Amino acid sequence: MFLRVRAEKKLGNFRLNADFEMDRGYWVLLGPTGAGKSVFLEIIAGIIRPDRGEVRLNGADITSLPPEKRGIGFVPQDYALFPHLNVYKNIGYGLRKVEKLERERRVKEIAEKLGIAHLLDRKPARLSGGERQRVALARALVIQPKLLLLDEPLSAVDLRTKGVLMEMLKFVQRDFEVPVLHVTHDLMEAALLADEVAVMLNGRIIEKGRLKDLFRSKNEEVSDFLSARNLLLKVSEILD
Amino acid sequence: MRLIFSAVLAALSSVILLFILLPIATTVTLQFFNFDEFLKAASDPAVWTVILTTYYAALISTFIAVVFGTPLAYLLARYSFPGKSLVEGIVDLPVVIPHTVAGIALLVVFGSNGIIGNFSPVRFVDALPGIVVAMLFVSVPIYINQAKEGFASIDVRLEHVARTLGSSPSRVFITISLPLSIRHILAGAIMSWARGISEFGAVVVIAYYPMIAPTLIYERYLSQGLSSAMPVAAILILLSLAVFVALRVLMGREDVSESQG
Repeated sequence: MFLRVRAEKKLGNFRLNADFEMDRGYWVLLGPTGAGKSVFLEIIAGIIRPDRGEVRLNGADITSLPPEKRGIGFVPQDYALFPHLNVYKNIGYGLRKVEKLERERRVKEIAEKLGIAHLLDRKPARLSGGERQRVALARALVIQPKLLLLDEPLSAVDLRTKGVLMEMLKFVQRDFEVPVLHVTHDLMEAALLADEVAVMLNGRIIEKGRLKDLFRSKNEEVSDFLSARNLLLKVSEILD
Repeated sequence: MRLIFSAVLAALSSVILLFILLPIATTVTLQFFNFDEFLKAASDPAVWTVILTTYYAALISTFIAVVFGTPLAYLLARYSFPGKSLVEGIVDLPVVIPHTVAGIALLVVFGSNGIIGNFSPVRFVDALPGIVVAMLFVSVPIYINQAKEGFASIDVRLEHVARTLGSSPSRVFITISLPLSIRHILAGAIMSWARGISEFGAVVVIAYYPMIAPTLIYERYLSQGLSSAMPVAAILILLSLAVFVALRVLMGREDVSESQG
């Protein structure tokens, strides 16, 4: 297994108790708001320490490593671009140990690939939602991470941008050959992007596999979450 | 109804603004009717020595507040730990203690028989270091609270992402947290400097000499009366106003450059 996480964490009344493993590929972690998905990602990234358990990446135990030693790319919700730095400096932030010319080459290369080369001088405040997301992706990818974590990467953009960005995410995963763990509450994203899906409810990973198999799941919680009622709610949300 | 409400708002606001402006404006304006006295004070080297001493001592005090207060502000903004509210209470203590009492308390510690004063090679009583500690004591809460507010206003996820991009906590502090709260830090430093300049009660107990501006004004008022104290007071008002306006303009410019990206 490429990534294996067994983690327990208590945060106030919320209790995360997750057992998860994934291969390389595009994985979507699906679950309703408040299921603990973000906490789970932050445990993998090293931002939150689990009370108990371990995180293994490529066979190595990284549980006690700080985030800066993990080599895991992280794109949080709303992207968290550094507002005082322009796009070029945002993307290059993780490359300070790389020699200047090489840094410049890598930033420009990735900016061109993601179609943001014309924005390098701009500050984040003057970018659109879609552009911000590309910059955040470029910033995470340029350090050549072993794993890319995306926390609700498409929740802050309109529907049309969403379609374009989804294609880009798929492209990114193939082109950079980086395993992706993408967290969302949106079934459509899972259907269109995921090689495999894991479902998280109330702090636990309930089931995982291909989405079409999950629809036949005998697990009541899973089938309820994937029920027609939920799908219709989603459709009505789009029509609104 | 809305009209009455607006009228009441405007009336009450005007009263409080007038209350602030009237004494200041009157003190300055009266100088024009007594210009000779004003010129005499303005050309008196002793007055300028006193003013420079005041500004200089407040500057040192602010520098110390920034160096030692910034880490504490960051700690309070970012981490929760047992006894945190106690620490916050300690930081705010100087605000609630009467300033002459603060001066007495400082004298007990920094005086020639005090815990620190006894062993320190530096003399505090009736010396510049005494003025500095008195100013620092009363102004450091202002700085720490401003800086804390600045750090707290930064989205913690920015710091998290910076960590995942290979930066240690100290580098995150220098490259992300500090630049993003620089306006709060500057504002806090300015306010703490201004607070230092205006301090009288604590300073006068530990260091009557070398004289600072508030002490000089008080002394002139007691020994020679209002007409002698007023010109110096007016000079101090004008100087403070100039510094205040200059800083406002400076900060305003930063605003513009930021919004232009």
